[in-house]
This record gives sequence, C-alpha cells and structure tokens, in this order.
Amino acid sequence: MDKKTVTTIAYLSRIALDEGNEDKITADLENIIKFVDQLDNANVDGIEPLTNPLEKKAQTREDKVTAENRKDTFLDRAPKSNEDYFLVPRVVE
Amino acid sequence: MSIQYKSIKNLTSMLQNKEISYKELINETFTLIESKMDLNAFITLNKDMAIEKATLLDSKKNDSLLAGIPIAQKDLFCTKDLRTTCGSNMLSSFIPPYSATVISNLENAGCISVGKTNMDEFAMGSSNETSFYGNVENPWGKNLVPGGSSGGSASAVSSGIVPAATGTDTGGSIRQPASLCGITGLKPTYGRISRWGMIAFASSLDQAGPMARTAEDCAILLNEMCSHDNKDTTSLNEHIPDFTKDIDQPIKGMKIGIVKEFDLSQLDNEVVKVFEESKKHYESLGAEFIEISLPNISLSVPTYYVVAPAECSSNLSRFDGVKFGKRCDDPKNLEDLYIRTRSEGFGDEVKRRILIGSYVLSAGFYDAYYKKAQQVRRLIKNDFDEAFLKVDVLMSPTTRGPAFEAGSKGSDPIQMYLEDLFTIPANLAGLPALSIPNGFVDNKPIGLQLIGNFLEENKLLKFAHNFQKTTDFHLKTPSGENI
Repeated sequence: MDKKTVTTIAYLSRIALDEGNEDKITADLENIIKFVDQLDNANVDGIEPLTNPLEKKAQTREDKVTAENRKDTFLDRAPKSNEDYFLVPRVVE
Repeated sequence: MSIQYKSIKNLTSMLQNKEISYKELINETFTLIESKMDLNAFITLNKDMAIEKATLLDSKKNDSLLAGIPIAQKDLFCTKDLRTTCGSNMLSSFIPPYSATVISNLENAGCISVGKTNMDEFAMGSSNETSFYGNVENPWGKNLVPGGSSGGSASAVSSGIVPAATGTDTGGSIRQPASLCGITGLKPTYGRISRWGMIAFASSLDQAGPMARTAEDCAILLNEMCSHDNKDTTSLNEHIPDFTKDIDQPIKGMKIGIVKEFDLSQLDNEVVKVFEESKKHYESLGAEFIEISLPNISLSVPTYYVVAPAECSSNLSRFDGVKFGKRCDDPKNLEDLYIRTRSEGFGDEVKRRILIGSYVLSAGFYDAYYKKAQQVRRLIKNDFDEAFLKVDVLMSPTTRGPAFEAGSKGSDPIQMYLEDLFTIPANLAGLPALSIPNGFVDNKPIGLQLIGNFLEENKLLKFAHNFQKTTDFHLKTPSGENI
C-alpha cells in the first residue's frame, strides 16, 4: 500500500483525501492491511466462501405494486429537484 | 414517584394501576432527558409526537405490555417524518418518508419513541467518538466513553432516562456499549429482526436488537421486534416463540462452553476475577462447564475487517448527493458533486473503511482478501456448529475491560478494532449473543457475554434471567443507589 494506490482507491471511492493528511491515511491503511494479512495463516483449500450466515437463496416476491406513488414526497426531500426529476449538474453539453 | 431507572415491567404495572398516566410518564421522561443533556445521548427529540401519542393512550383502555413505554431509537433506524442522521453530517437534514419495520413493530405495540440516540457515524466505531454530533458521556464517569456504536442508546438506558432503547450490532455495537454502561443488550440471530429501514453498514452482519435494564425486558421487547418481513430478503421465516415464556425455567444440568482460544491472560486481573466469579455463580445455579476449542476464532477480527469494510464500501456508495441527504454547494460538474459531497459528508473513520473496502474488492486483491475472508468466515462458523453439539451456550467476557476515557485509544485504528475481539465472532456466524452486567472494575461496570446457537435466543435469555434473579449487578445505578 503506497500513496499512489491510496490515491487510486480514493478516486474509485469518489473521496478526496485531505491534503497534508495523506501520509497518515496511507500509514493507517497499510497497518490495517498488514493486520488482515493474518488471514494468510488459514488453510482454506477447498472451503466454500460464506457470504451470508443464513445461506439461503434471496427470497423473491410477486412483481406487483404494493406501495402508493409518493413521487412528490421523495422529490421534495431531495437536495435538488423539480416537479418530475432529481436534478444534477449538466452531463451532456 | 420518580420513574428514573424503572424497568419496563415496573412502568407497565404503574400505568396499569393508574399510579401514573401515560402523559405524565412521557412528560417525566422529557424532564429527565432535559436534565441530562450533558450526556449528549440524543441527537433529535420527538417531544410533540410523543406527548400526542401519550395523550391518546390516556383516553382509551390498553392491554399491551408495551403501551406507553418510552423508548429511545438508535438514529440508524429510519423514522417517518423524524430526522434520521446515522451520526453523520451526510444525513444531517434527512427526514425519512417511512419508518423501519422494527420501529413500526415497536410503535404498533404501543411504545412511544421519545427521540433518536447518538451513535458512531454509520455505526463505525466502538466508543461513540466518531459521531458528527459529538461524544456521548457514559453516566458512570466523567469523560468515560459509553462504548459504541449504540453509545447513545446505552447511555440513555444506563442513566435511567428510558427503560429501553433499540440498538444495532454489526460487530458488537449492542453488547460492547451494554457492557461498558452496565445494562443488558441482546443481538438476536441474523435475520430475526427485519433490516428494512435500517441504514445499512455491512448487510451480512447487521442485526437490530433490544437494550434494557434486564433480560426479562429484552425478552418483552424482542417479542415485538421480530417479524417476518417480505421487504427484507434475509428476514427469517421461522417460528417466533414467546421469548418470555421459559425465562424462569432453571438451568440446572445445562452446559456452558468456555472458549480455550479466548486468552484471558492478556486481560487485567480484575476483569478475569469478575469473570471467574460469574463462572462460580453459574456453577452454583447447577450449570456445568466444558472447555471448547474454536480453532479459527483468532482470525475473527481480521476477517471482520475485510468483510465489513467491503460491504460498507458498497452500501455507502448510495450517498452521492443526488436523491437524498447532503449535497455540496455549487458543484462544478457531476463528478465534483459526488466527490465533494462524499468528502464533506463522511468523517475520517467512515472514509477509512470505505477505502479499505474498495481496496479488498478491487480486481487484483479480491481473491487474496475478500474471498479468503469469506472462506475463513465459513471455518469460524463451522467451529461454532461443532461447539454447539456439546454445549448449550458459550461464555466469555463481553469486553477486554471496563469503559475507557475518550481519546485514550490514541490514533491507531487497530487498537479500537480490538475492542470487539469477543463480540465479532457471533456476527460472523450469525449467532445470537447477549451481554449482562456481571461486576465492577474500578467502580465501572463490566459485562458477561453469552453466545447461543442459531435461533436460541430463548435459551440465552433464560441463562441471563437466572443470573439476574440471583445477583444485583443489573440493579446498581451510576448515581449510587440500588433499585
């Protein structure tokens, strides 16, 4: 883990690192990764990953509308919206 | 008559015997809240709605055990039309248009939500020091942390403001603060309580649960909190028993496992002494002890710090400043909007975990970290499966020690991560676990953890209630008197 890697993952995460604090962040992340490197001690040959303790298939339900249309409520509570849409800065010039 | 430190059972009987009206109870609760603002246990209060509901209850007959009972809700649960911040600047003005299923369940049972409790930001922390809304005080001592992430809930119950609060537990966030604040807290089996409307941190680990003064009160709350919910695909569709039913049954002849790999020699002597006393106490109640080996358990914390950040980095990608929550001022373009909103909205610990998550999920490292952690997670679960063929419950200290001072863990995140050494394994395996007060170290409370097999909350509650019937640790209060 070096500064360049940290800059890359920060960009992938859409997070800007505080200038002047990059060394501390890099050192912290490096320590955490070193700490989790203990996992190398485990013998996991042939072990299926466990993604969820229930190991059940996600339950599905019939595809029918159960909720009322609350478009106005949701748009009202958005940071920026008009009567029909969430608004973001122009994407296509 | 003061309502401070009263249990749910006490308050229910006071209400039913008309010693106090519903409205008086809620008014008294707000008097207590306002007299203890220095704890910083609440982020948002729900006073007008609470009084309105209490007034309504006064005008009709109520049979529900929980009717009119004041409850504090962790600020991680969406509450319809009541600000929900998750301890973050990102959601400082978020007003949910719906309530979490568990909140609706409790409110439908008659509980009155009096406010939203402070917490570590997005539940990432073990001391409540990562909250955007400031530290929470542990009522047991000035400048002591209440634990985290459900620190505000624990502080509110411990100080006797409310008899009950909700919490969530991803790696110990109910049990660790319960231990540090001298109260009882239960993390149910993964899937018992719907996660719908809970702001997600790590979806395969997150589980809501009750925090209260006694195991009996936790059982009463759990009866209402559990439900099968079509809106949560991991909600269990299993029989939900009456958790209060067998709580009084004796535990004679039942078996308690002591985990060989939990190295207690690393702990303070006083902490070990308290634990040994509890063992003796359970022996006097007729329980038998068996040493159990969980060979992979020492890898729990490293496993957790891959799985939880991975899931967090994915879950928290929804905070982009578009549909709800904070948005930065004057974004130059869409990317600037995303980056500045997230950089301004999240605190340091949350950013750290998102970065770790993005790293362990990135193409070159996925197998080495994420897949491997999930494989070790299965080994840990297998160890537990094996153990529960031999014992009814497993027992350990909940925490490595009592409450510590704010700021005392320094700036090394791993020191804080190790706070959850004893609690994380139950989350990885999806097992129910609880913490009950079992003694004091330096006049600060400390807790005992019991871990149960899948769906065996009733057994855990029975063990806890038997302990509480014959000890008084849970009856001690920070202000000195016994209740």
